[in-house]
Amino acid sequence: MRVFLQSAASGILIGGVYALVGIGLTIIYGVMRVINFAHGELLMVGMYLTWIIFTWLGVDPIVSVALVIPLTFLFGAFLQKSLINRVLNALPQNQILLTIGLGLIISNVVMLIFTSDYKIITTSYSSSTLNFAGLRLSTPLAISLAITSAITTILYLFLLKTDTGQAIRATAQDRDAAQLMGINVKRMSVLAFGIGTALAGTAGALVSPTYYIFPQVGGAFTLKAFVIVVLGGMGSVVGATLGGIVIGVTESLAAVYISSGMKEVFVYVLFLLVLLFKPSGLLGRSRM
Amino acid sequence: MTGACHLKALGPKVLSSLRGSPGRWWLVIAVVVAALLAFPQTMSSPYGLHLMILLFLSVAMGESWNVIGGYCGQYSVGHAAYFGVGSYATLMLLQYKHVAPWWGVWAALVAALVVSLLIGTICFRLRGPYFVLASIAVAEIIRLIVLNWKPFTNGAEGILLADIPALKLGDRVITDWLSKTPFYYLGLALALTTLLVNYLVQHSKLGYYLQAIREDQDAAHSLGINLSLYKNVALAISALFTALSGIFYGLYIGFIDPPSVLGVDLSVQMVLICIIGGIGTNFGPVVGALVLVPLSEALRANILTKLLFAAGVVKESSAVGGFLKENLAHAHVLIYGILVVVVILFMPDGVLGFTKKLVARGARQLSAAPQPLVGGLRGPTGD
Amino acid sequence: MALLEIKHVFKFFGGLAALSDVVCSAEQGKILGLIGPNGSGKTTLFNCITGYYPPSKGEVVFKGQRINGLQPDRVCKLGMARTWQKVRPLAKLTVLDNVMVGALARTNSLKVAREAAMEQLKMVRMERKAHYLAGSLSIGERKKLEVARVLATQAELLLLDEVMGGLNTVESEEIIQLILDIKKRGLTQMVIEHDMKAIMRISDRIVVLNSGEKLAEGSPQQVVENPAVVTAYLGDANVA
Repeated sequence: MRVFLQSAASGILIGGVYALVGIGLTIIYGVMRVINFAHGELLMVGMYLTWIIFTWLGVDPIVSVALVIPLTFLFGAFLQKSLINRVLNALPQNQILLTIGLGLIISNVVMLIFTSDYKIITTSYSSSTLNFAGLRLSTPLAISLAITSAITTILYLFLLKTDTGQAIRATAQDRDAAQLMGINVKRMSVLAFGIGTALAGTAGALVSPTYYIFPQVGGAFTLKAFVIVVLGGMGSVVGATLGGIVIGVTESLAAVYISSGMKEVFVYVLFLLVLLFKPSGLLGRSRM
Repeated sequence: MTGACHLKALGPKVLSSLRGSPGRWWLVIAVVVAALLAFPQTMSSPYGLHLMILLFLSVAMGESWNVIGGYCGQYSVGHAAYFGVGSYATLMLLQYKHVAPWWGVWAALVAALVVSLLIGTICFRLRGPYFVLASIAVAEIIRLIVLNWKPFTNGAEGILLADIPALKLGDRVITDWLSKTPFYYLGLALALTTLLVNYLVQHSKLGYYLQAIREDQDAAHSLGINLSLYKNVALAISALFTALSGIFYGLYIGFIDPPSVLGVDLSVQMVLICIIGGIGTNFGPVVGALVLVPLSEALRANILTKLLFAAGVVKESSAVGGFLKENLAHAHVLIYGILVVVVILFMPDGVLGFTKKLVARGARQLSAAPQPLVGGLRGPTGD
Repeated sequence: MALLEIKHVFKFFGGLAALSDVVCSAEQGKILGLIGPNGSGKTTLFNCITGYYPPSKGEVVFKGQRINGLQPDRVCKLGMARTWQKVRPLAKLTVLDNVMVGALARTNSLKVAREAAMEQLKMVRMERKAHYLAGSLSIGERKKLEVARVLATQAELLLLDEVMGGLNTVESEEIIQLILDIKKRGLTQMVIEHDMKAIMRISDRIVVLNSGEKLAEGSPQQVVENPAVVTAYLGDANVA
């Protein structure tokens, strides 16, 4: 029982990070109807940014989140304006191919600059653990869960209470109607992609003390992000949050009870099951 | 007329003279095939043969994907699953059970067929982007299983072929597989077969139905087309020839591991070969292969870097020069990414479609009378 | 003889009753008009009949056989074909190829299909455009293409969904003549239309739907004089 609780708890911790990634992807899909296959690479960019800030400026990864958020936001906005915007009306297949190509470009440029050598960020607390109700929790992941919760709450309030947030949700619900109401939908797309990128980058920053950093690390995150988003319902922020936790726990339990190498297989099988039997997501919603 | 106008006039004239007489097309093809058959006799460099073999492999992979992706419109980005299942099945049988590949290939094809039926049944219920995602997920599941099933597949270490038994007809040895030449002819046969299969599909009821499904699935359904039957047939054909390509690759290179035959990069490459050339056309994948193979080999062999040095654009001793020499060889995947982006943004119909548009535009500029909207032009609704 | 019988068909989408106890039938060789305000369930009825989705309750009987829940391709093979309210050309195929797809429902030979397709194109007077891309056609031509396509499937019952929608007077007249020609061939038709003049001219019987329920049924004259129909759909001014 203790093993179960322990691995479930670890799963919740990592699930929080997954949730950030998923929320970013779902906002992008919700507002732009674009399936962003480069999402994992955006996370990887966040990781490398954090590493640069850590190595050259000596800033702690958790603290550097404050820098990573605006930088990755700008990067995302730039990508949207220069590339993604052009395929908003193209076939979904072409959109997917474009973002796949974008992902390849990003990961290989990073590889050219930084080489494929694994990089690590070791902080004073990288391997320390907290004691919580008799369970050992990884300190960096526990901190990141706290930060993730804060960010998610702020984001949710932003979407619900502010004018811009509501404009974003309106664009997600009905792009044409929103435009007719005077909302600048082009700017909403830029915002959405920027926010999505910033969330992915932040997730990267938060896991950087506990993961190996290398150019291809994004790939596994992309597919997982999609599983999360489909699980929670494409376009639903709440769904992505819950989906992230579910996937984190599933993965953690699979790693402990079956095998570490095969843990992703269970996530993907869950994905296929959801796609087949409940494609609108476990929560049954497909909107923000 | 000016010189440029003359050239522009030539294009449509050549095309229409070829289009009007299928006999002339067959002549062109016969000449090309004869040249290809004679090639190894004239080429002494094994590298030249290697390049052609890579070309044939790319053509085969592209033409195979084209059946399900180009004609039927189902963009599978998980086709490496069939490539890997084919190569792993054959090489495992050869290396561990000493089953000669010309027997092992049948088991491998059955395995690929079973996998394709499984994937089809699961994934074809899904539309558009969901289908793409599911195809990737399935390929990843297969890759992870192969990676982790160490006693069976040797996991991450892959399978290194000791040797291939000699191919004998009675007592006479046809080949012992020690040079590149037998692989050249095998590869040529594979590429030509996939081209033929594409042609036959396109000019059959199957082809019409697949394209109807691609254009509008619901309309096709209401016109008497059994969607799941035809999609699965297309996928099966595509899977079989992709598996054959994988088997060929495994035998030729002599080494396979999960990333090289089951990775997402490989799946993307197959799609790329088709979309660069022109999706849904018979020769599109050939054009795509003709673009991709020289480009990636040029990068790998540092030819591009040497050219830049020779042209004096970059000095070999400079920092940029050193950087290029070190790293450009690994950049061929980067080029794939850039090519995908460029093609999607500027040439969604691929090189063939782009050329057709140029040629048609040239023809229109010359004649006063309005041209019929035939060929690669878009209708007024832009769809 | 009733070729198609719709017996107490209901269709629910969640809590919404899109069709409520609809009863009607199409007589062989005749034209049944189906009219009603937007959202009254006309296209939903077509979708239920052709298998796009099954009815929630009730029966659809075609040529004496219950066809509830059959897939659209099976329904087509049995002899029923439909056109679409929002036209669905197979855009990247030529006009001839489009109709051939329909013809291939009855033959495996491309040659036979091509001849049959050309015949249908001649019937809708589009043979000159045989080698044009379907995506390049005007709306009127696309509608005619859909009719040619369903004719090529050798359907005995044609379901035409607003096949005159968006057409000018000349084009509409062409379609009306086409529908009457099809009737002369002995085929049965069920026509959804908003153009009252056209419906009055071509229909042998008319069924009126309103909010998913059958409001009225009868000869064109009976329906047009029915006060409930006038209130719900036609408006108080006299429609000649």
